[in-house]
Amino acid sequence: MHRFFRRTDIGILIGCIFIFILFSLWNHDQWFNWYTFTSISRYTAILGLLAIGQTFVILIREIDLSVGSVYGAIGIAFISLEHQLSVPLSAFLALLFALTIGLINAVIVIHGRLSSMIVTLGGLFFYRGLVYVSTHGGVSGPPREARLDWFNQLLGGHWFRVENGFLLLLLVALLSGVLLYHMPFGNHLLALGGNSASAESQGVPVNRVRIWAFMICSLFAGLSAIATLANDPQTSVSLGTGLELESIAAVVVGGTLLTGGRGTILGTVLGAFFFTAVRSEMIAFGAPPSWYTSFVGIALLLVVTLNTVLSKRLTAG
Amino acid sequence: MDNRSELDGKVSDGVTAGSAPLISVRNICLSYGNFRALTDVSVDFFPGELVGLVGDNGAGKTTLIRILSGIIAPDSGEVYFDGQRITRFYPKLAIALGVESIQQTIGLCDNLSVTRNYFLGRELVRRIFGLRFLAKKEMRDICAKVVRDFGLREGIDVEDEISLLSGGEKQTFKIARAVSFRNRVIIMDEPTNHLSVRERGRVNELAVQLKQQGLLVIYITHDIFQIHRIADRIVILENGRKVADVLRDAMSAEELEEIIRHGGVGPRVP
Repeated sequence: MHRFFRRTDIGILIGCIFIFILFSLWNHDQWFNWYTFTSISRYTAILGLLAIGQTFVILIREIDLSVGSVYGAIGIAFISLEHQLSVPLSAFLALLFALTIGLINAVIVIHGRLSSMIVTLGGLFFYRGLVYVSTHGGVSGPPREARLDWFNQLLGGHWFRVENGFLLLLLVALLSGVLLYHMPFGNHLLALGGNSASAESQGVPVNRVRIWAFMICSLFAGLSAIATLANDPQTSVSLGTGLELESIAAVVVGGTLLTGGRGTILGTVLGAFFFTAVRSEMIAFGAPPSWYTSFVGIALLLVVTLNTVLSKRLTAG
Repeated sequence: MDNRSELDGKVSDGVTAGSAPLISVRNICLSYGNFRALTDVSVDFFPGELVGLVGDNGAGKTTLIRILSGIIAPDSGEVYFDGQRITRFYPKLAIALGVESIQQTIGLCDNLSVTRNYFLGRELVRRIFGLRFLAKKEMRDICAKVVRDFGLREGIDVEDEISLLSGGEKQTFKIARAVSFRNRVIIMDEPTNHLSVRERGRVNELAVQLKQQGLLVIYITHDIFQIHRIADRIVILENGRKVADVLRDAMSAEELEEIIRHGGVGPRVP
């Protein structure tokens, strides 16, 4: 029981249950219906996929500020490729591009001995700039056949009224959880985040783990973009702007510590749900969209404080 | 200089007889930028021996063990392990050869459970469809047995975070881990700093037991009196040079302390 309350995601679990009950009582008609759940699950999937990738990087005490731009670049690459290639091949190449970006980020961090915050801040500007330059500010939407392709239908469709994008999120979350807590790689990753010198002294291949963490992060950002576009083809070159900070907020609210080594995938998914649900509810109440930004800040402080207080009280007692 | 060679003369000629060194360090030099951390250091280490490596701060003790544990490579000189020349230095190789160093601040990840720390870097796995999964139950059982055998406090749950252990328990745990993975060399870097008197006694006892089991134990400290009680041989480094390499019985702790106090060129040795 004691160990249960030491979990880092206990705060967000309580937070999610709280808002769920609150919204159900307070605004039952607009909240408690399938339409709302569908739209929330769709955006939770987008943010959640990005945030799961971000979790891997934050767990090793690094950060990836480039995911929003990577999300945009991979999305635009996917849509552009669809004009020439088959949809699955376009997705495959776009994801390969994402993995390459992760690899580049990691290699610069490791061999340049630079802070990941600087390297990925550079990435944030560079990949967004790349999108502008390569598209001259605009792309045309995917051809009609591509929209009807089985691959897009699969990712963008639904199954028993549940969005397939959301099912993808659950699948990715499950696999990530297994990788992180049930496989040697996860043990190495958590050790690296907890104490890199100790991990290295025990023979953990720390640089290889770092590279994989950044590659997983970029890969999931790319996956998120493809899942988004399969569902809802967009051609905006500013696609994904600001998502890097939202993904970090979801991870942190989900209980993963920015100091590395402690956190859960479940917490991250709940963090993504939390922000999405609140945003949806604010829109339902007609609050100006700018309020949401302030709310993210307040929620971040509240949940992190709650987490700290809970874990202190329970470890002391 | 004369004094140094005189001390060296008393050396381990006695010890070398009959057995080949497990680790042999020959004319090692290493600089960090302009700072010469080690200058022309040569030492032999034998199996079943407890060697005290003594010296003031900045004497080069830590640099020497960083080389032995594969963290850095020397600028020049040679290192032999079991007669084989080592040409590349990386931690994984040292671990594979059975060299484990136990350091005060390094070695454990506070965010992981006792079991996960125990198996860190050498996890037991079960293959399912070719994928490697942690064999959690086996790891837990083995770790629980080791924790019991090494007399760590009753009631330690190996699934709890290792941060719940006290300083002495952590040291004992690191030693237990090093021993049970069939290592041949245990390097203890200031293992008793910040420990209570009783815990210190326990760690020193363990060091002697390891030696008796045939392991080479290299014990780094600046407490000459403590090490003189348990070591077979004492090597003193000073400003990156070896200034003494003597069998325990050849000198008293006071005489050794004099050597350190005078920076290696101390009083004449009787």
